Amino acid sequence: MQWEERRTDLQATLAQRRRGLARGWYRFSRNPLSVIGLAVLSLIVLAAIFAPYITPYPEHAKPYTNFSAGSLPPSSTYWFGTDRVGRDIFSRVIFGYRFSLTIGIVVLGLGVAPGVILGLVAGYHQGTWIETIIMRITDVFLAVPPLVLALAITAMLTPNLMNQMMAIALVWWPWYARLVFALASSLRSEYFVREAELTGASKLHIMFREILPNCFAPVMTKMTLDMGIVILLGATLSFIGLGVQPPKPGLGTMVAEGAKRLPGEWWGTIFPALAIVIVILAFNLVGDGLRDVFSVEEV
Amino acid sequence: MDGLLAIKDLHVGFRIFEGRLHVLNGVLLDVREGERVGLVGETGCGKTTTVKSVLRVLPTPPAVVLGGEIVYRGRDVLKMSRRQMTALRRHELTAIFQDPLQSLNPVFTIGTQLRDIVKDSAIGQGRRLSRREVEARCIQALQETGMPDPERIMTNYPVQLSGGMRQRICIAEALSTNARLLLADEPTTNLDVTIQDQILRKLDELVDEKGASVVMITHSMGVVRDLTQRVNIMYAGSIVEAGGTRVLLEAPKHPYTRGLMASVPKLTGEGISEGIPGRIPNYLDPPSGCRFHPRCEHRMEICDQESPPFYEIGDGHRAACYLYQEAS
Amino acid sequence: MNDHPILSVDHLVKHFPTKAGVVRAVDDISFDVAAGDTLGLVGESGSGKTTTAQCVLGIYPPTSGQISFDGQPIGVVFSRRKKELKRSIRIVFQDPGSSLNPKRTIKQILSVPLKVHGMGSTRERLSMMNELLEMVELPPAEYLYKHPQSIGGGEKQMVAIARALATNPRFVVLDEPTSALDVSVQGKIINLLMRLAEELELTYLFITHDLSLMRNVATRVAIMYLGKLCEIARTERFFRAPRHPYTKMLLSSIPVVTSDEESLKPEKVVSQGEIPSPVNVPPGCSFHLRCPVRMPICSQADPEMRDLGDGRVVRCHLYDDEAT
Repeated sequence: MQWEERRTDLQATLAQRRRGLARGWYRFSRNPLSVIGLAVLSLIVLAAIFAPYITPYPEHAKPYTNFSAGSLPPSSTYWFGTDRVGRDIFSRVIFGYRFSLTIGIVVLGLGVAPGVILGLVAGYHQGTWIETIIMRITDVFLAVPPLVLALAITAMLTPNLMNQMMAIALVWWPWYARLVFALASSLRSEYFVREAELTGASKLHIMFREILPNCFAPVMTKMTLDMGIVILLGATLSFIGLGVQPPKPGLGTMVAEGAKRLPGEWWGTIFPALAIVIVILAFNLVGDGLRDVFSVEEV
Repeated sequence: MDGLLAIKDLHVGFRIFEGRLHVLNGVLLDVREGERVGLVGETGCGKTTTVKSVLRVLPTPPAVVLGGEIVYRGRDVLKMSRRQMTALRRHELTAIFQDPLQSLNPVFTIGTQLRDIVKDSAIGQGRRLSRREVEARCIQALQETGMPDPERIMTNYPVQLSGGMRQRICIAEALSTNARLLLADEPTTNLDVTIQDQILRKLDELVDEKGASVVMITHSMGVVRDLTQRVNIMYAGSIVEAGGTRVLLEAPKHPYTRGLMASVPKLTGEGISEGIPGRIPNYLDPPSGCRFHPRCEHRMEICDQESPPFYEIGDGHRAACYLYQEAS
Repeated sequence: MNDHPILSVDHLVKHFPTKAGVVRAVDDISFDVAAGDTLGLVGESGSGKTTTAQCVLGIYPPTSGQISFDGQPIGVVFSRRKKELKRSIRIVFQDPGSSLNPKRTIKQILSVPLKVHGMGSTRERLSMMNELLEMVELPPAEYLYKHPQSIGGGEKQMVAIARALATNPRFVVLDEPTSALDVSVQGKIINLLMRLAEELELTYLFITHDLSLMRNVATRVAIMYLGKLCEIARTERFFRAPRHPYTKMLLSSIPVVTSDEESLKPEKVVSQGEIPSPVNVPPGCSFHLRCPVRMPICSQADPEMRDLGDGRVVRCHLYDDEAT
C-alpha cells in the first residue's frame, strides 16, 4: 500500500520533470546556432574522452620524438602536420582538449559552489554585518585582475596544471557571489519568501529551497559562458609557460611552441589556436541558447 | 454617426511550443464617430490582442493574422504599408494603457515627453510650432486633465508623481494629438476608487469636447456603465453580445454575460454567485462551434457544431447565441 | 462562543522613519475582532490598512501600542514569536503569481507548513496534502505535481488558501485575495472562503478596496484614511447609513452595475485633489483638506473616536456631542 503510493508519487514527479526538459529542448532548438554549438561541443567532449582510441597517433601525446618526421606540413598521414620534434599535431590537439576541458570543469567546480553559497547568504542577510563582511571580501578579490593573481600564484608555486587551476578558481568565485547576491537580495522581498518566513521555515530552508532554485537559470547560463573564458585563461597561462608544461600537449603550450616558427611552419600554431577558438565559440553558442531557454516569454 | 472603425471577422493566432493558439475567433466590432464603446471581457479573452491588432503592434512572430479585416475610415489597416501605419498611429489613433509607468519613459521629464508629442503631431499636420507655442500647448493639455500646477509637473520625472497623476499625463499625451479614436486599455484598474472616479469623469469631459471616439477596454462592468453608450462583451476570442450599455447591463441575454453579471458583487448585498463553472478554453484546442458551450447551462445540440452568428434581439442589441435564433 | 475578542488592537502606532520624513503609516488605531467574524478593512493608498495587517502578522513590530491574540500580547516581530502563533495566524496574499514559488511544485509548496510544524510523517503529509487540495476543489492527482505557472490565477489562489489552512489556523488575514482575479473566478473563491470560515471556525481580517465585494463578505467594516480609523460599523449599517464624510465620498464613487445599486449609493460627493502622502499628514483631522463639510475646528484638532452605539464608532467632529 505504502509502496504503491510512493511509486505513483515518484512517477508523477518524474513525468513532470521530463515535460519540463522537453519544453526546454524545444526552446533551445529554436536557435540553429545554439544547436550547432551543442553539436560541436558534444563532438569535442567525446573526442577528448575517447582520445586514446580515436586519434591516429595517441603516443605522440606522451614524450616522443621522431626527427625524421619533423616539421611536416598537413598531409593525409598527419592531418594537421607535425611539429619540430615530429609529433602529430592533430592527435596532440585532441589530447590538448582534455586539459582545456579539465581546467574549465575543475575551476568552475571549485569556484562556483563557494561563490553561490556566499552570495546566497549575503543576499538573504542584506543590510546586516554578515552581508558586509562577505561582500567586502568579495570586492577585494574582484579588485585584483584575474590574470595577475593567477600569475602571482603560479609563479610562487611550481607551475603546473593543478596549481594553475586553483589559481583561476580563486579569482573566479567572486563573480558568482556577486551574481547570486544581486539575485538573492531582490528575491528576498518576494511574497513566497515572506510566506515561508511567516510560516516559520528555517533560514536554511528559505535560502536553499526557496531562493536558490530561482537563481539556477542565471548561474547555469553564466557557467556555460564562463567555460570559454576559463579555457582561454588556462591557455594564456600555458602560453607564457606557467601552465601545462611541455612536453604535455596543452593547447596554449602548443601555440607558444609553434609561434617561434611562424610564418613558415604555420600549422604548428594555427591549428591549436583554432582549436581554442572553436571550443570557446561552441560554449558561447550553447550559453546563448540556454539564456533563451530560461527567459520565458508569456504569450 | 458614421462608421469610424469596423473590425470584420478577425482571426489571430500565436505560434508556440505546443502548437498554434487560435485566439481571436472572428471578432466583429464597430465604432462610430463620436461614440463611446466598451469592450468587456476577462483575462485571456483577447481584448488586448484585439486592440494591439488595430494598432498593428503585435509581434508578428509569434502572432499571425489568420483572416479578417480592420477597416478604419474605409481602408483596411491590416493591408497598410509601414508608412501609412505610422501616419495612422500619429494622427488618427491614440492609446492609453493600464500601467502608466510602462508608458512613460522614466529617464525623461514629463515636459520633454509631452513636448515631443506635441511637436510631432504638429509636424504631421504640416505645421511647425515655435517653442512658446509648444510650451503653451503642453500646459494646456495638462490643465485640461485637471492637473494642479502644470508648470511644475513639466519639470518632474514620472517616478516623482502618484499613479493618478501619471495616468492623467498619459491621457494628456493621448488627447494632445487630436486623434479621432482613443483606445483605452484598462486605464484606471490600478488606481484608487476616488481617483478612478475623478479620472474617468475627466476623460468623459475631454472626449466629449474633442468629439473623439473611445474604445474602453475593461473587466469592470461598473466603469463601462458610467462611461460608454454601447458595450461589447467578449469571450474566448469573439464578441458574444453587444448593445446599448444600460439596456444590456440591466437585462443581459447571452448566458456568459448573465453569468458575469451574476458574479459581480452588488451593493444590495445579495451575496455572490458561484461564478461560472469551468475555465476559459485552451486556445490550442478550443471547443468547436460556440466556444462557451462547455460551460453553458443552456447548451443544445447545435452549439458544438457551428459558431452562432449574431441574432438581433432589440434596438441594436444582439447576441451570438442559438437561444435567440427565433427571436430575430 | 466566548466574549473575548480573538484579536484586539489597542492604540496601535507604526511609524517608518525615512529620509523624506516620518511615514505615519498607522497612527493610533484601536479595534477588536470577535471570533468567527469577518472584519473588512477598507482604505485607499496610504490608508495604512496593509501596514495594520502586517503588524498583526508580525512583519513589523509596532512603534507603540498593543496587539493581543486570544488575550495574549503578540506585538513583536514574527522571528520572535512562538511557533504556535505562526500556526494560528496565517495570510493569503494578493498576487498569487508571486506568493507561490515558481520553481517549486504544488506538492513542495504545500509541504512547507506541514513540515515546519511537524504535522505527521511523510506518508501522513501526502494524504494531508490530498485533503487540502480536495478542500479547495482541486483534484490532487492533477495538481500536486504541477508548477504554479501551468495553472490559472484562480487555481493559484486556491492553492494559496490551501497552504494557509494547512496548519489548522484560527485567524486568517486575506489581503485583497481576489483583486488580481477575474470576476467569474472571484465568486467561487469568495464562497469557498465563506464556507471554510463556517466549517473550520475561522476569523478573517479581509482587506480589499472593492466596496461592493465588502458588502457581501464582511460582518463588520472598518474604513481607514491616512493611518487613522474613520468609521467602524456592522456591514449593513455601514452601507445604508454611513456617517463619516470620507465613507460617503468613497461609497458615492463606486462604479455599480445596476440601477438598484445606484439608488443605494449616498449622494454624490465629488472627490477633489490627490490623496496626501502619509509623510505629510495634514494637521487636525487628516481628512479635512478634502472634506466637503469641513468646519473650522477640523484644521485644528484631531477628532476622537465616538461610540454611537450598536457597534458603530466614528471619528469626526460632526459627532463630537455624542457619547464617547
